[in-house]
Amino acid sequence: MKRVLTVIVGVGVLVLGGMIIYAWEPAIPKVPLPEASRFSQAQISRGKMLAGIGNCSTCHTNEASRPNAGGLSIPTPFGTLYTPNIAPDPQTGIGHWSEAAFIRAMREGVDREGEHLFPAFPYTHFTKVKDEDLTALYAYLITHKPVEYEPPANTLRFPYNIRMLQAGWKVLFFDDSPWKDVDGKSDAWNRGAYLAEGLGHCAACHSPRNQFGAEQTDASYAGAMVDQWYAPALDKQHEAPVDWTMDESFDYLRTGGSALHGVAVGSMADVVHAGLAWASGQDIEALATYLGEIGGAGSTSEAMQKAKTLISKAHRETDADMTHGGRIFAAACVACHYNDSRRPNTIRPDLALNSTVTLKSPDNLIRVVLDGVSVKGGLPGVMMPGFGHALNDNDIADLLAFLRRTHNNEPPWPNLAQRVAQLRNETNVNSDDATE
Amino acid sequence: MGKLSRFIDSSKTGKDTESRQLTRRQFLVGAAGAGLTLAFARPGMAFASPGDAIAAGAYEPTIWYQIQRDGRIVINIAEAEMGQHIGTALARIVADELEADWSLVELNYVDSDPKWDLMVTGGSWSVWQDFTPMSHAGAAGRIALIEEGARLMGVSSSRCQARNSQVIAGNKSISYGEIVSRGHISRTFSDDELKKLPVKKPSERRLIGHEAEALDIPDKISGASVYGIDASIENMVYARPLVPPTRHGASVKQVDDSKAKQVDGYIRTLVLDDPSDTVPGWAVVIANSFHAANRAASQVKVDWQPGKTSDVSEQQILDHGEKLIGDATKGALVVDEPGVDDAFSHADSVLEQDYVTHSVLHFQMEPVNALAFEKDGTWEIHTGNQWQSLAIPVLAKALDVDQSKIVMRTYMLGGGFGRRLNGDYTVPAALAAKALGRPVKLVFTREDDARFDSIRSPSNQKVRMAFDAEGQVIGMEHHATAGWPTQVMAPFFMPKAKNGEKYDPFAIQGAAHWYSVGAHRLRAISNDLANATFRPGWLRSVGSGWVNFALESFMDEAAHKLGKDPIDFRLGLLKAEGKNAGSAPNAVGGASRQANVLRRVKELSGWGTNQPSDTGLGVATSYGQERDMPTWTACVTKVRVDRETGRVHLLRLSVVTDAGTIVHPDGAWAQVQGASLWGASMALHEGTQIAAGQVKDTNLNTYTPMRMGDVPVIDVEFIDSSETSMGLGEPATTVAGPAIANAIFNAVGVRLRSLPIRAEDVHKALNT
Amino acid sequence: MDIQFELNGKSVQVDVPEDTPLLWAIRDHLGLTGTKFGCGIGMCGACTVHVNGRATRSCITPVSAVANSAVTTIEGIDPSHPLQAAWIKAQAPQCGYCQPGQIMQAVNLLEDFPDPSDEQINAVMSGNLCRCMAYIRIKEAIKLAAGEMQKEKADG
Ligand code: FES
Ligand code: FES
Repeated sequence: MKRVLTVIVGVGVLVLGGMIIYAWEPAIPKVPLPEASRFSQAQISRGKMLAGIGNCSTCHTNEASRPNAGGLSIPTPFGTLYTPNIAPDPQTGIGHWSEAAFIRAMREGVDREGEHLFPAFPYTHFTKVKDEDLTALYAYLITHKPVEYEPPANTLRFPYNIRMLQAGWKVLFFDDSPWKDVDGKSDAWNRGAYLAEGLGHCAACHSPRNQFGAEQTDASYAGAMVDQWYAPALDKQHEAPVDWTMDESFDYLRTGGSALHGVAVGSMADVVHAGLAWASGQDIEALATYLGEIGGAGSTSEAMQKAKTLISKAHRETDADMTHGGRIFAAACVACHYNDSRRPNTIRPDLALNSTVTLKSPDNLIRVVLDGVSVKGGLPGVMMPGFGHALNDNDIADLLAFLRRTHNNEPPWPNLAQRVAQLRNETNVNSDDATE
Repeated sequence: MGKLSRFIDSSKTGKDTESRQLTRRQFLVGAAGAGLTLAFARPGMAFASPGDAIAAGAYEPTIWYQIQRDGRIVINIAEAEMGQHIGTALARIVADELEADWSLVELNYVDSDPKWDLMVTGGSWSVWQDFTPMSHAGAAGRIALIEEGARLMGVSSSRCQARNSQVIAGNKSISYGEIVSRGHISRTFSDDELKKLPVKKPSERRLIGHEAEALDIPDKISGASVYGIDASIENMVYARPLVPPTRHGASVKQVDDSKAKQVDGYIRTLVLDDPSDTVPGWAVVIANSFHAANRAASQVKVDWQPGKTSDVSEQQILDHGEKLIGDATKGALVVDEPGVDDAFSHADSVLEQDYVTHSVLHFQMEPVNALAFEKDGTWEIHTGNQWQSLAIPVLAKALDVDQSKIVMRTYMLGGGFGRRLNGDYTVPAALAAKALGRPVKLVFTREDDARFDSIRSPSNQKVRMAFDAEGQVIGMEHHATAGWPTQVMAPFFMPKAKNGEKYDPFAIQGAAHWYSVGAHRLRAISNDLANATFRPGWLRSVGSGWVNFALESFMDEAAHKLGKDPIDFRLGLLKAEGKNAGSAPNAVGGASRQANVLRRVKELSGWGTNQPSDTGLGVATSYGQERDMPTWTACVTKVRVDRETGRVHLLRLSVVTDAGTIVHPDGAWAQVQGASLWGASMALHEGTQIAAGQVKDTNLNTYTPMRMGDVPVIDVEFIDSSETSMGLGEPATTVAGPAIANAIFNAVGVRLRSLPIRAEDVHKALNT
Repeated sequence: MDIQFELNGKSVQVDVPEDTPLLWAIRDHLGLTGTKFGCGIGMCGACTVHVNGRATRSCITPVSAVANSAVTTIEGIDPSHPLQAAWIKAQAPQCGYCQPGQIMQAVNLLEDFPDPSDEQINAVMSGNLCRCMAYIRIKEAIKLAAGEMQKEKADG
């Protein structure tokens, strides 16, 4: 997708981005809350499914009792953003928004009053969504339960808090061309691409961003940190020990886990369970087709062969290891994570196949060890208890060093114990009663 | 009847008498309550009839059983059940002589009672000590039942015999239940009559030595077994202790619980005042749930005045031990035969080596705990314990009440291994309950349990051997020092050595070996710094656990020095002559039986066959702990050493045991398997160190006992024997360690003289 | 805070702080003591229960984490489960304290590895410490049960 202007135009243009005339957008008048009967049931259900693919509620729900009422904090390098209320409450939500106002927000990143939205709201992707899909989405959201709730105000630092500057940002980084199917690709591929690049906004999390918070288009899907989780790379340089196959991608997106990779944790758990769960099998297959190509999907037999080699190697090296970390692994982890190398089992995520162990940053693994995986994350119903209260920083560091040493071929992670302490602090897992 | 009964007396009177031997008692058979009770009378008590005596409870706790009207036979067990299935073994002895229907036998674990003064389970004593009296008790019951059964059937008792809970005469028969329901048995057997009762020949035994399922097992797999930690009573509160920085001499300067007050359910923090000085400087956190007590405990800040040992390290204790060994004036000469110095001064050559073992935790699975409360003027302590008679006087002092006002209720033990011989953990619970005036259930977290453990003391040993020009052994010295549990916890039980010094027999006995080595000297020294730093514990096999490591490692070194095969060398010294000839009833055959197990393990283990590279076999043998209760044991281990990492893979463990008559074979197997793996675990996987006055490792994140994946192939074999039954719970613990060290030497040629043997140590030894 | 879940097939509710470990909620508040406390840090397995059918160390699982889930303890295991019979046959327990946890873990082991090799048993069961070192018989019991279950399956 081509850009309006390139980054080379640079900072100068950003400053000029203050040009008021360019930036000015009119308010769209309030409308009374539309009657539900205005929409067909089919539209509403389709909207619900699309809201799932777009994963709206994950960001726009902070407490389960207040669906879509916003208030979730999004820490950014520029300050903290709080997601707005998109429930149809007329005062605090979008109850007064007309369909046109909604579509403008989705397509152009401008709210009903004419204010520019921050690109944490991925309108850069939503702009690709087709008219009929936006209408359905509107139908769903506007007929949903109204919740009266005023989210906290953003705490962005100057000058980032000047919304008008966003206009300049858009000049630089926003491509508002509509979606077009790619010739020569299958229907499934095109459907998957449309969903992933549009409403699904996969790249929004999985791509690194530049200093202005824009996705780096030259590094799409190269992986990025989001909310202290690392969203792994989905491109051919991905960190997963075994290549993704179509089947694996399908399992993962459908169930939250796959035998040759692992389970969805952090915000990805919501993407799967609170979002994609509403999508049809066909759409999941389409997504798997498209993402599979991005990641260079291999054949199932090759993947199985590779997995077998990796697991067997890990078994051998674990067996020879009597270090502190190795003993902890045997006592605390293996009962659930051990696999027959020929038949890895999704319910027993194998750490020789898990990208948390191969990632450049140990953060994801540290967080999972500290906090575990809830009954709702990963594979639904299957939980992993957190070891944050049980193991001290050193224990976890030695365990991770052991995994890194025996379960893959990556170089050791530096300063692990310190990093554990930091994340423990930042993610609030008390260590006061962890063993000394 | 040996150590235990002597001990009972000396613990009460300080005198060493034999008056309380169980076999010198009257045996009472009389109706009381729901059925027929059969029990040994308490001495010095006169009652009109056995029934009256029984109704008055004037009988011993150790052996008594009841036959109910419905035929059920309830055998009361006054031993702690901690995995040895002791109830089953003892019940089988009674039931065999009683000719009972095994399917009608039930166990009842009795509580301590002020009227019973001894309760102890340890030292692998139970079966050995109770075998004869239990047989007599069973036989007496059978005779009484036959007499009454004959009367009821109207036949002469000489025509009757008993089988399967029936008295049978020709084609007539009557069940025990019926006899009890319809008859009037009131009978006393005098001591002399008892002694004359014929006890079955081994070949006639129907239960002893035959396979049986242990009676305690079904409840243990359904979750129904009740352990101390499961005890509860209405209105109780929960407590977690705040363990001070030193075991002795600490005091609390100040407690700040302001933060704890924010914990939901927190009640208060008590600073304990302990007249028994068992838990000096302790505080306990009280709350309405254990979780709350636990959370609150992490928020309470205590400012302690620590005792003097707050800086002591393992190394200091060992350095001190080395100094003690170097000072010839120190210690007790447990064996001191004439001519030792002579032998060494005239020796053609002398071999001398030093050995060290490090601290070991009990780490029984169930952390110690106790529920304590006062009810109608009596203190009830609900807990699993191995030695009620040792705990009660201490509790009496702590609570300032008469011993008769304390009852310990019996629970299953989630592992004993000697930890629960020392009932110190009941004291803080009792003190807290007294201070609060409310039932308190005190539960130690694992970390608390480890810091308060009566650990196996670190030890130093020096072993020397003198050889003449022909390579014959002409003299031997063994010097051993460690913290002494008996000195610290039961000093009245310390016998006098040859030089008049008292010593802890449990800390040295395994060294009084049956090898003929010429003039022999054995010196045991108490490491006072160890005793001051922690409370040394009796840990499965106690001193034999470390002395046999030194002894049997040394025997290997001596064999290699002489260029002899280690088994042949040992066999050459196990001559069964002189003091090693053995004597009845316990040590019939003496050293020849040790030689026998050694020969058998040689065959069993494939000794002498070619091994792959870096793989080797090692041997060790032992007589258990006491010369007076020898359990002949020999072990061969096979290891493979990974030269790159130093990791020792234990591949195979072969153990041959001669423990005389085996009562409950399946249980015996389990005990030997468990004991030998314990030994291997202590040798390769466990061990901790004292750092700043406390143990360094307090939970499984760093303390790493053997797990399933570490378990080798095991062959266990018993020598078929009808000799006196010996204890089984511990001896195999003592052989695995030295056999492993010897196997490592055989595999890669490095000699490890310190336990535990860690991969790093082996790696280092290989590279120097 | 009231937390509701299913315990051995029955709906239960406990009013405890939400960070209360499931272990203590089950033992002290719901009165089922078959589940044992050994280490409190997830490394001995004595406290193993099933959460939604999977073996989980209850000592490090906050009770709030199992809200609305199905929890099974040793008391909820069908007494006719082949593992129970095998455990008797092998006379596996010594002190017995670790055994409820061992059995709960073994149930999952046999679900995941119906015909387990030594290596598989060792790996999956290594998180369950048995201080009595009854390992050999535990392993034997697992194999007996596996054989029995395979046979049952074959017999239909
Ligand atoms: S008590 Fe939970 S694993 Fe040890
Ligand atoms: S049977 Fe005692 S801990 Fe396993």
